[in-house]
Formats: sequence, C-alpha cells, structure tokens
Amino acid sequence: MAIETLVLGAGQEVGKSCVVVNINGKRIMFDCGMHMGYTDHRRFPDFSLISPSGNFNDALSCIIITHFHLDHVGALVYFTEVCGYRGPVYMTYPTKALSPLMLEDFRKMVDRRGEEEQFTSEHIAECMKKVIAVDLKQTVQVDEDLQIRAYYAGHVIGAAMFYVKVGDAEMVYTGDYNMTPDRHLGAAQIDRLRLDLLITESTYATTIRDSKYAREREFLKAVHKCVSGGGKVLIPTFALGRAQELCILLDDYWERMNLKVPIYFSSGLTIQANMYYKMLISWTSQKIKDTYSTHSAFDFKNVHKFDKSIIDAPGPCVLFATPGMIRGGLSLEVFKHWAPSEKNLVTLPGYCVVGTVGHKLTSGKPTKIDTDPDTQIDVRCQIHQLAFSPHTDSKGIMDLVKFLSPKHVMLVHGEKPKMASLKERIHSELGIPCYTPANNETVSIPSTHYVNAEASDTFIRNCLNPNFTFRKCNSVDTCNSTLIDRNLTPELQVEDERVVDGVLVMENNKKAKIVQRDELLLMLDEKKHEV
Amino acid sequence: MDDTPQLQSNSEQPLTLHTLSSIRSLLINPSTPKPTLSSILQTLTRSSQLTHHTLNLLTDLAIHHPSFSQLALDSLLTATESPTRLAVDSLASISELSFPDSFELDDGRFVSLCFGPSIPGRIWMLKNAGYLFKVRPALLFTVLLGFTKDPYPYVRAASLEGLVGLSERGDFNDVSMVKGCYQRALQLLTDMEDCVRISAVRVVASWGLMLSASNADMKAYWCNEVFAKLCSMVRDMSMKVRVEAFNGLAKMEIVSKDFLLQSLSKRVLRNEKQMEAMDQSTSEQFVTLATSVAGALVHGLEEEFFEVRKSACQSLHTLTILSVEFAREALDLLMDMLNDDSVVVRLQALETMHHMAINGCLKLQEKHLHMFLGALVDNCREVRCAERKILKIVKLNDLAMFKSSIDRLMENLDSYLQDEADVFSAFSHLGRNHKKFVGYIVKETFEEVEAAFEGNDEFKSARIAALLIISISAPLFNEYLGVIPPVLFSYAVTLLDRIYDAFSDIMDKDALLAYLCEKSRPPSYSAPNISHSEGEQQLPLIEGDTPNCASNGVIDSEVGSQIMKEQKELPSYQVEQHQSEYSEVTKFVNFILAKCPDMWQTIETGLTNEVLRSLRCLKEELSTMKFDSLGSHDALAFALLYIRIIILLVEVWEHLLPAKGSRSHGMGELEFKLGKLDRRIKELMSTFVGFSAEEELNMLELILVTYALRLCKLETICVNLTFKRLTSIYSCVESILKERSVLPSNFVVELGKLLHECSLQFDRCLKLFSLKKFVFHGTVKHLKAELSISNNDSLHPFPFVSGLPVSIPCKIKLHNIISNCKLWLRMSLDDGLVQYVFLDLDNFIGTGDVKNFDFVAPFYRTPKSNSFTLKVCISLECLFENVSPIQRYGGPKYELVPLCKEKQVYYFNVNKD
Repeated sequence: MAIETLVLGAGQEVGKSCVVVNINGKRIMFDCGMHMGYTDHRRFPDFSLISPSGNFNDALSCIIITHFHLDHVGALVYFTEVCGYRGPVYMTYPTKALSPLMLEDFRKMVDRRGEEEQFTSEHIAECMKKVIAVDLKQTVQVDEDLQIRAYYAGHVIGAAMFYVKVGDAEMVYTGDYNMTPDRHLGAAQIDRLRLDLLITESTYATTIRDSKYAREREFLKAVHKCVSGGGKVLIPTFALGRAQELCILLDDYWERMNLKVPIYFSSGLTIQANMYYKMLISWTSQKIKDTYSTHSAFDFKNVHKFDKSIIDAPGPCVLFATPGMIRGGLSLEVFKHWAPSEKNLVTLPGYCVVGTVGHKLTSGKPTKIDTDPDTQIDVRCQIHQLAFSPHTDSKGIMDLVKFLSPKHVMLVHGEKPKMASLKERIHSELGIPCYTPANNETVSIPSTHYVNAEASDTFIRNCLNPNFTFRKCNSVDTCNSTLIDRNLTPELQVEDERVVDGVLVMENNKKAKIVQRDELLLMLDEKKHEV
Repeated sequence: MDDTPQLQSNSEQPLTLHTLSSIRSLLINPSTPKPTLSSILQTLTRSSQLTHHTLNLLTDLAIHHPSFSQLALDSLLTATESPTRLAVDSLASISELSFPDSFELDDGRFVSLCFGPSIPGRIWMLKNAGYLFKVRPALLFTVLLGFTKDPYPYVRAASLEGLVGLSERGDFNDVSMVKGCYQRALQLLTDMEDCVRISAVRVVASWGLMLSASNADMKAYWCNEVFAKLCSMVRDMSMKVRVEAFNGLAKMEIVSKDFLLQSLSKRVLRNEKQMEAMDQSTSEQFVTLATSVAGALVHGLEEEFFEVRKSACQSLHTLTILSVEFAREALDLLMDMLNDDSVVVRLQALETMHHMAINGCLKLQEKHLHMFLGALVDNCREVRCAERKILKIVKLNDLAMFKSSIDRLMENLDSYLQDEADVFSAFSHLGRNHKKFVGYIVKETFEEVEAAFEGNDEFKSARIAALLIISISAPLFNEYLGVIPPVLFSYAVTLLDRIYDAFSDIMDKDALLAYLCEKSRPPSYSAPNISHSEGEQQLPLIEGDTPNCASNGVIDSEVGSQIMKEQKELPSYQVEQHQSEYSEVTKFVNFILAKCPDMWQTIETGLTNEVLRSLRCLKEELSTMKFDSLGSHDALAFALLYIRIIILLVEVWEHLLPAKGSRSHGMGELEFKLGKLDRRIKELMSTFVGFSAEEELNMLELILVTYALRLCKLETICVNLTFKRLTSIYSCVESILKERSVLPSNFVVELGKLLHECSLQFDRCLKLFSLKKFVFHGTVKHLKAELSISNNDSLHPFPFVSGLPVSIPCKIKLHNIISNCKLWLRMSLDDGLVQYVFLDLDNFIGTGDVKNFDFVAPFYRTPKSNSFTLKVCISLECLFENVSPIQRYGGPKYELVPLCKEKQVYYFNVNKD
C-alpha cells in the first residue's frame, strides 16, 4: 500500500495551496487556494490533473480547507461552482464564517480592477452551503473508512491542522501554523500520533526568530517615535489576524502610556472582523479566553472608525488599512499620499509576495516606486519591517516534526532553496526521509498496513498478566553505536515478555493468528502426528 | 435498635442497599450500644462476599468507634489476602484509618496485589503503596521499574509516580539501578500518552539528579545531560508536561555555562572561542545536545499558558546562581516578563530578580530601567511591593539610574498613598546603599526642602519626608561625608513620627531621635575625640536628647567590668550562700505557684481581667528576682515560664467563656495566642528535665488542655495532626497513671471518653478542667546555653569576601545538657536563608552540669552585599512528641526550641568598592 501525493499548488512556492492525497484508495484534497501574484490561468491549481475527464465527484472523497486565507480557500468557489465538484467540503466553524467575507472582498477587488470575474456572490453563497463545519478534536467519519480530525494550528483564527486516517494509514496536513502564541491566538497543539506522512508548510524554512518580546518592544518604539514626531503610521494588513494582533498590542500600550493619538481601522470589514472575533472567542488564546468574562480584548478603547478625509488631515495618527502587502485598494491609496513625507512610517510584514509594492519596499531601499505605468511615487517615509509573522519558524517546524516523529515528511508552501536546506536538516538530525515536490509532481511513499490477526485465548490471558524480566546486558551489544556508554558498564534493562511470547502463525487458507509460545509447540506436535 | 435481629437473619443473602444505609446510620451515631455494633461487625464480615459498601462500613466503624477499630482492621486485612480489586480497596481503606504506627505490607501480599488482574487496583498500588505502607525499597523498585513496560498507559504513569516517590526516600548505592531507572524514564519521554510523559519528566529530573550525585567525577556530565533532556521536553504539546519540565529545571545543581547560554538562544551557538574554553568531553557533549537545549527558556517565557511562564521564571531562580554571564543574559528576558498580563507571572519574575539581587547577580542596565521601574506604578499592590523589595537591596551603578529610581518611587508615592510606609523604607535603604549619590540629590533638592520648611512654598509633605529620609539615611553605616547639611537632620526631627518606621529595621524611635539630634549639630561642636560613626553604636543607650552621648556608653562599660571583677574575687563566699538561698528560692517559687489554682477558681466566676493583672504582677516579681546559684536560676526560670503559660492559658480560656460583651477578639488573635502557648509549652517540655512523675503529669495535662483548646476553637487544616499529637500525649498520661496508680482528674477521664468515641466535642472535657496545685520539689533542671562571640559588634564587624564562607568563632557554654540532646546552631539571614550546623556533644569539655566548647562554625552562603548581619542561636531539637518529623534535608528532623537569645554577628565586605 502506498500514499500518493499530488501537489497542485504551493510546491516549492508560496501561493495557491492545494495538495491531493491518495491514501488507501481515498482521495482527499487539502486546501484549494489561489495565487495572488498572478491574474492569468496560473492563479488556480491545474484541476485537470485530478481527473482528465472532469468528473471530480468520483475522483475525490472530500475537500479539507485549513483556514480562510485566499491562498488556501480562494479557488474553492471556482472548483465547486464552475468545475462542478459536488462532494463534501470540510472546514472549521470560524473558517466557514470568515471565508465568504474574504472571497467577497476579493471578488469586489477584481471587479474594481475590471478584470474577468471567475465567480459571483451567488456562487460564494452556493458554495458555502456545501461546507460541513467541524470543531477542534472532533473526529468526523467521512465515510466508512475515512476519518478526519482537526487540531488547533494558531496562525489565524479558525486555522486547523487536519489528521486523516484511512484503514491503518495515518497522516497530518498542517496547513499554515504557528508554534509560538501571540497576543490573540494560541500555539498549535496536536496529539502524539503514529503518522506515515506529515505534510507541513515551510514558509520560514531557515529563519529562526528571537523572542517575540523584543520584536514587540521594537515595533512599539518605532510607532511611538513616529507619532510623537507628528508622523502618520500606515499599517497595511489583512483584515483578519495581524490587524487584531497588532491592535491589541497598540491598544494596551496606548492605555499604559496614556497616549491620545487616534488609531483608525480602514474598512467596515475590519470592524466586522472584530465582531467575528468576539463571537469566536473560544478559538483565541488562553489569556483572552480567561479574561473574556471581565473584559473582551477586542473592545478597543482607542480605535476609531476611518473616514477618507483623515488621509490628508494634519496631525499624527495610526491607520490599519487593507489589503496587506500594499497590493492595491485603500492601503495603496494611502501609501501614495503618505510615502513622500519622511515623518511618516510604514510597517510591513516580514514576508511579502513577489510583485506587490510591499515586496519592492522590503527588498532593497527604493526611492521611487512605479505602481502602474502612469504613476510613480516618491518614497521618503521610514519603513519598519515587522517580523511579526503568524507562521512558525524553522525551529518550530523542527519541533513539530520531532514531536510527531512521522515516517515521512513532505514540505510545501515555501521557497525552493530554503526548503532544500530544511529537508537536509530533517533528514540528518531526525533521520526522517523528507520530500519537497514541485507543483504538479506526484510523490509516492509506502504506508503502514497492519495484519489483522486473531489472538488465541491463551495469548490474551497471558497478555493480561504482567511478565517482566530484568537483564543486565552490555550496552555495546544491544545499543546502537551512537549510544556507546562511557563506562561500558552493564546496563539494567527491563523487558516485558508477554507480547514477545506471542507467535504469529499463518496457516494455509486460514486467517493469521497469534498464539502463545507454549501453544505453538502443541500445534506443531499435532501437525507432526498428522504428517 | 430493632434492626439488629433483622440484620442477622438476613446474613445469608447479600445485604440490600437499604439495610446497608441503616447500618451506616447506626455506625455513625456515637451512642449506638456496643452489642449492636458487634453484631453489625459480625454481619458485615460474615456476609458471603465482601463488597465495596461493606468495606466503607467497616472503615466507618473503625473511625467512629475506636474500641472496634482493631477488629475492623483485622477483617479489612483478611480481605486483602486474595489479589482482587476489593483487596486493594480495603488496603485503601486501611490507609485512610491512619493508625499511629504505619502498617507494614509484607512482600508476598504486595507483589500479589500488584500482579493481580485488576488494572485500577494495580494503578492504586503502584501509586500509593510506597507512600502509605512500609514496603522493602528493593522490592518496590523492582516492581515499579517492571511496570514501566506495562501496555496500559495509566499503569506506566503510576509506576513512574511511584519511582518519583521512591527517589525522595531511598538511598540507592547501586549506580546501575539508578541508571537503569533513569534510562527507562528517558525512553518514556517519547511515550504516546501525556500522562506518562508528565511522570517520565519527573522521574528524569529526580533520578537524573540522583545519578549525577552518585559519581563526583561524572557529576557535571550527568547534570548537563539531565538539563538537556528536560530542555527537550519544553516543546511538548501538553501544557502539564512543559510545566513539569521547568519544575525539573529548577532543581538543577550544576550546569555548564554553555548549556545555560544555549537555553537562552533558539539558534545553536557555535562559538569557537567558547569551544576552546570547554574541556574536550564537555564540548563533545555540547555539540550533541545543543539542539535540544536551544531556546528552551525563551520558549518557556513566551508561553501561552501562565502556568508554564511562571514555572519558567521560577526555574531561573536557581539557574541564575549557576553562572554570572547567564544571569546577565537571562535578566534581559526576565525584564520583559514584567510586561506580562498575568499578575502571578509578574510577581514570580520580581521574586526571581529579588533572589538574583541577594546573590549579587542582578546587574541592572540603563535599558532595563524603563521596564523595571515601571513595576512601581503597576496597579497591583503585591507587584509594587515586590519591586520595592528589590530596590531596597539592589546596587545601582550610576547616578542616572539612582535618580530615575527616586523619581519613579516618588511617582509611586503620588499615585498610591497607601504605600507610604513601604516607600519610605525603600528610600531609607536606597540612601544607605548609595551614599555616593545622595550628595547630588541633596544638592538638587535642598532648596525645595528648605522652602517647604520655611513656609514659602506649598508643602508637599510626602515628597519632603521622602527626600529627608534619603538624606539622613546616607551617613548611617558610613563615615560622615560632610555634604548633608545639618539642618536637614533637624528638619527630620519634626517629622520623626512619620519617618521612624522607615528605620525600624535598624533602630527604634528614640535611637533615631538621638541620631538626628547628634547629626544636626554643626560638625565643629562635637567632641574632638569621638568619631561620628562610634556615636551610632551607643545610640540605643540614650534616652532623649542627651548632648554628650558617646561618653555615656564608656561609663557604662566601665561599671560593667568592675562588677565582673568583684564577682571573680568572691567565689568561696558564694558557695556558702548557695545552699540557704536555694531552699529560699524553692519556697518562694512554691508560694507563687500555689496561688495559681485559687486564681483559676476566680476565672470561672468571670473575673478574667483581675486574674490576669495579678498573674502579671507575679511574673514581674519573678523576673526581678536574681540569685547567683545555678539551681535557683533553674527554679526561677521554670516558675517564670510556668506563669507565662498560665497567663496565656487564661487569655485563651476567656474565649471559651460565654461572651461578656466587654471585649471582642478576632479569630486571628486567638490563633496567635494558641500558637504562642504551643511554643511555650514545647519550651517547657524540652528545656526542663528532672520532673517527678507527679509534676510531669501536671504538665502533660496542660499540654492536653492546649491541644483540646486548639481542636475546639480553631477549625484549622491541621486538625488531623493536632489530633494525633493529642492522642500521643494522652497515651503518655495513661501510662504514667497506670504506673503510679494515681486517680486521673475529671478532665483526663472525660478526654479519654471523647477519644474513645472519636468525638470532637472537646468543650465537654474542657469544662471539667481545673488548675491543679503544682508543688515544686526543686529537682528540675533548666537546659540552657550561653553563646558569646567576642570582638564583634556593629562597630567592629568581621571581614568577609562575598561568595566565600565565613567563620563564626563561638564560645558556647551549656548548662544541664544531657547526652541524648540534639543541639543545632541555627544561623539565619534577614532574607530567610537559614543554615544549620550540628553541635556534637562529644566535643564539649567539662564535667557535671556545665560544659564549654569553643567552636568555629562555618557559614557558607555569604550574600553579595557590603555588609550583612547573621543571627545565630543555639537550638534544641524537640523530641518529646515524635508525631510528625519535619523533613529537612541535612538539617534537624524535628522542631527546634531555642536555648539562648539570638545573637547578632556583623560582617562587612573587604572587597567593597
């Protein structure tokens, strides 16, 4: 038996996450995202590889969406409504609640730019009707053989890692996750499982981050310095996630330092998102859950609603504007206004997709940026690169892989050279085979298959009685050479022989059976007589 | 009672629930007659199969009716013979009964129960057998280690828990055993189940340390190894495992610096220079283990769960002592914890810093100040208080830091008026510790203070008082700097009432006043021969504003030496006098003691205050008596203590009387008095020997009354302990009564009944108590010790180098100490650090009642401060009630009773800058 993995997106790149796994005869699609860097056919995964005939309903058992980011859910509506997939779609409750917002926002943006529309609002609504919501650690029996279970992943609200079990083969697809908690979300949490395959993201395959406290301090210092100098701070973010994280941080700081500079949230979407957060409080971090009864962390005291006139109004302010990475929309508009003044500050996340203004700003120090053929912006403002990232760093990936100790690891959602170095580390430090397939490649790995065997009564009875022995053995004989003991003294070891006593017997035309050692002798005797 | 025959007739069938419940109601009723009880016992034990319910009922029987407890125990024991679940349950019931001598479980029964088919029973046995019963350690170890291989996770976890318990008790000489166990736990660190991993972490910590202790050469190697293994568990997905991992880290004794530093960095450190510094084996070890250590503490501090963050802060407590460099780097992280949203974590971080300050590894830098001093305006009172506690001992390196500390303290004072007393105290300590900087502050603020006192400006009293405190505290302990204008001292006099509390740790109000008066005179007026610092030591002798204070002290000491001389010249005269004096003393003491029973009668009539007054008069009278012979000393000391106890007893007794409405007492006061009474009685029992049986009976009865009062009046958590003590003392009384064939007092009789019935209505017997007449026969001897440390006072401190041990040259004189006494030298620092040194009686020279010994005691944990004061005291281990030994590692096993007054020994740092 084998697990076959077809990578349709996010193979050696970041964007349009989509992995189709064939595990013991079940085919599951993990994530169905779009690539934000392209506007042509490369935006969506190449679905034709799943089924050349286009009969997706037979080809796939189910779709699992890990979280609501467009590079994980963006192609879902297209796939279900345009390509015609009718099977079940699983995601967590918050993802189900927030995905339509993100998709609708995206659709509007496409609309504004005058590009070709791939799906309509009705499509989004129709698609969401097919979604089955799951809760954390709830085991869902998709069909007779297929079990799935969601684990908390941090990253954004509602993000989950998914565990899949078909027969004896087990695997986990992490989606995006974070191993360190932040101001509003907890760290990823999973049980120790016996996995054949772990597919993990690797956005920061080589980065190791220092304590987040230092980063918070630096961010606050930069913002404080800018506003006390009368400057304006632009924080382009996704509406969900970083906006709340940074806002909690700033609001706390404002409170403590008694600052009166206004903080604005750019659009209704963000305000609405805050409302969603209040409803989804059980998916936030332990601290917010604990304090929720007395004070909701999402009731910001210093946050005001944004009005366009503020852009050119004098005086300092802080603005959270969508979309992130200054991809367009309000954040680009405001950037055009504020970039020419050196008093102002733009904070950008540590990672920006190639092709966005954010990427241009963070790679090198440009003085002029062309946003479209007609417009050129003078950039004199300060840039603060904010290493706040909801993705785990390489240490976190290593820690998770070490904790789960799967038989095979596959890296997706990362940059090729960095993935190669992480692959090498996983292989050398943990001794686990690791794969980094490119898009549209298929990787096949062997899967576990347990032999079903009957157990004889004597064996079962024997198993119920502890039967352990101690023996002193010279460590050199038994242990690997890496564990050579310094003193070469005999080591005390414990063995419990009750399981060892079992012997697997496979007779012709009979089911495999485990019998007790003594029993075996009897059976053999009988046979001798027969012969 | 009509149930009884019915019970018997039904005994062949299983008892119905209804019957069982009626049996229970009979059992818990203390007045159920004995015949009924015995028939119930028969029914319960005869019923064909014992059930869980019958076990419970047997336990009830044993608890509520002590006379049946042995029978019930026997039948419970028979139930343990077959290895069933029920057997384990009955063992559990036996353990609940808490018999005075712990029940011994023989090997066969222990093994058969552990190997029995019932899994829950097995788990219970593994977890508890080692704690509750006496089992041979070697056997216990084998069984526990074996079961770590069990397929059931809870059995594995239970056996690991058992091993943790075993490590706390046993000494294992066989290194391979320890190692085997440690290695097995290492394997289980990767167990699939959370519960197993939690226990495995605990075993790795406890057995790993045992392993490292077993071999001095390999100690460093094993400690590093254990440290790394624990660090590798801080990224476990289970919160409880992570907490345990940090709890384990907090136990580490030595760890190489590189390992420590690595735990602060998520990146693997490969510094060539450091590698060279390490010896070959350590560097090899470091390379293999570095990845598991990397960033462990950082992860702990940025945790989602406050439990883990707290535990991580706590582990820094011990780890920062191990390396200065590590302490410095860890402090950067620790400072950020003051920004934590959980008060518990902030407090723990501050406590860790306080601990670091005591050990001299709190190196504050400019960049820390914003965060560090921010805690002074925290909205939580405990946090502010903890912060000031650090400020009181911290050494600030430059003026800027000193100034910002002062500013933030002023802010603290402004926004939280209720903190005034403690803020003032912090100011006083800051001034004393930073004499250099005070001068600058005084220069800057002098005008402001002057203006305030001349009335030209708005009078900000708290701020002015604070400034004055810091100014006047600088010249304490330091030579006179000349920069503090004398007028400030006279200003301070006007605020004396408000500020004297800030100095209460070193002098009382009068002494402060004298000090201020002395300093407020311009330097030219003071007598030329007397240095200023000398004046301070004499301060306590002065009452009021005496102009020539220093000479007063000189006169006193001269007088003292003359008296000494006279005594030495007259030994023969004294001996003659002693005999007659002694009988006189005995007579006097008996006269005083005889008054007590009469007074007791008066209390019953409610005239408590009058009785207390006259008792206090007696006390005064006794304490003014002075005789020279040793015997009379003993008699007086005894009588004084006895009267003190009676006074306390009367005071407590008042609470028992129906309220008169004259005075209301809080529960706290009662508890305090009972505690004091308890201590006094222990002192009486431990430091006096040679009682006649009658006298002893009298005293024991007093103890019984104290305990009964305690049980009757206080619903403390330690009812069980007190009850145990009460029963053990009662059995003493019983045995004396039997030996002497004396009739017990009504009180004792009633108490016996109560104990018999296991009832807690002690007021019943207390009503019957009356004070007996105590006839003093003069055979009583007082155990006491005299401790003198020559050539040391606050003016002439001993030198020390911080971090190195110091010696305390003690001259010890012991009176009446007998050979089975266990004596300890107790040395304590102000911060609560206590060290004990055992005094071997064989080293004492001298015959008879008085023994002398010159002993040089070492004190190891010298703090990193300019000076410190050590409180030294000779104490006696209190053996008379061996109910609950206090387990102290390497120290005394039982409570201590002081034999002499605490002596202060002063030290100053020779290396001070």
